[in-house]
Amino acid sequence: MHVPSPQDQYSRHSVMKFTECNPQSVNKADIVVAIPSYKEAASISLPTKQADIGLTKYYSHKSGVIINCDNGSPDGTTQAFFDTETKIPKMSLSTETGLVGKGYNLRSLFQKAVELSAKAVIVLDADVKNITPQWIRNLCEPLFDDYHFVAPLYVRHKYDGSFTNNLVYPMTRTLYGRRVRQPIGGEVGFSGETAKLYLDCDYWDENVGQFGINLWMTTLAVKSPGAVIQSFMGRTKIHRVRDFSADIARMFSQVVATLFELMCRFETYWKQVKWSRPTAVFGFGVGEVQVPPPVDIDATALSSAMREGLQKNWDMYRQCVEEPNFNKLEEVASLPDSDFEFPTNLWARILFDFGVAYRNSAVPRDALVESLIPLYYAKTLSFVLDTEAMNTQQVEELVEDQCLQFEKAKPYLIEKWPTK
Amino acid sequence: MAKILIVDDEEGIRMLYSMELQDEGYQVITLPDGKDLLEVVDREHPDCIVLDIKMREYSGLDLLQRLRKKYYDLPVILNSAYSSFKVDLKAVAADYYVVKSSDLTELKEKLKIALETKLPR
Repeated sequence: MHVPSPQDQYSRHSVMKFTECNPQSVNKADIVVAIPSYKEAASISLPTKQADIGLTKYYSHKSGVIINCDNGSPDGTTQAFFDTETKIPKMSLSTETGLVGKGYNLRSLFQKAVELSAKAVIVLDADVKNITPQWIRNLCEPLFDDYHFVAPLYVRHKYDGSFTNNLVYPMTRTLYGRRVRQPIGGEVGFSGETAKLYLDCDYWDENVGQFGINLWMTTLAVKSPGAVIQSFMGRTKIHRVRDFSADIARMFSQVVATLFELMCRFETYWKQVKWSRPTAVFGFGVGEVQVPPPVDIDATALSSAMREGLQKNWDMYRQCVEEPNFNKLEEVASLPDSDFEFPTNLWARILFDFGVAYRNSAVPRDALVESLIPLYYAKTLSFVLDTEAMNTQQVEELVEDQCLQFEKAKPYLIEKWPTK
Repeated sequence: MAKILIVDDEEGIRMLYSMELQDEGYQVITLPDGKDLLEVVDREHPDCIVLDIKMREYSGLDLLQRLRKKYYDLPVILNSAYSSFKVDLKAVAADYYVVKSSDLTELKEKLKIALETKLPR
């Protein structure tokens, strides 16, 4: 059997085939608003309409196009997109049959954006329920002011975005030195140059093709010479309600695998990074600031899932976590729920140990990443208990303090990371 | 020797910070308000700015926005008697936010970190 080398994979992905439907024959556009989708027939009309209003209201002096990037949804998503009445022209791109994932959708978008000589590209999730035309302006405007990547900044409830707060944000900030508060936010903007940068990147895999795409885009942008900014969206994003349970483990594994893979590929870069720098914010004073809707976390269920998962994975932890950290972890696991605490310094060191184990392929990588889930539950439980009486701002300060602890622990990572 | 620019409308604060930070080995320059801030930064090239927020005629948060447009990565530490400005999103653009105190330990620690910060370019 022929096993493709990594290089085969890069060249396979460097130009991706997709089917294009371009009824208005658009061949150039200053601004592209893209809506990646899969089975979103019921939802796609709203972001399409809002994108149209936003482009018409704020950018009537520029040429624009709205693109639906789909995976050949069988539910008529693309038809629903074209059926939405707009003043701005529309086109659709559909990936090859069988290729499903947001990353693949965006890969076809990068190619199209470069072909159209786009100056600014905005990405909106298809299932977002409370998008306003202002979002188009907030994501687009900095791209005409020499910024190359715009990340979203939302006001979120303290328990919303636990994965970001406790893992993705502190790790990304510590590794690459740039504080982007929502590194896996779905709504982003990037310049035409950044689209080229994405196309030229020789790292692309299945995880990036799916849930890993947002972290991949943010990381490449942050470590490129172009300036990055965050745009305040005013409102907390509200998605269509759906059953996420099946997707959670897959999402976690794909994002964490992407994080570790990026660590391996960009080690020369992040080893030079010391502490971190802030990222400017665009968009205050525009639009209203909403109180984020409450998010409930069932601490009892979280504790059960954590304890069951820890029990199952002790052998893996023994192999991958350095002995002093492993001993501490056993101590943490023995704490009752009433006194449960997972110190951030230990959590950071364990994540670093996992990164090193991933780098060394000490154990099968998929199993390694999956075994991190109960530890993430442990950190989330500790975070929930810590922040019970805190308001959103106090939690924000705690998150910042946690990040500083990650940064202080970074010399440990550099010491443990094998030299090439 | 790192050069620190202190922007504060209270003379007592400027004097205290100057003495303490000079003792730490920093070169210190001061401004009583934000009027000539950009010109002074252009001329003096400070390595870090310690910026008061609530000054009589100037808002440190607005000055920070103006600074960031021109100096994307110049370290700025917001320094205020009030912690309430932390909720203002404009404060996100600062490297650190330190609440004023007669004990300058935290300010000195954050100053050290801000000056040590390194991103490859």
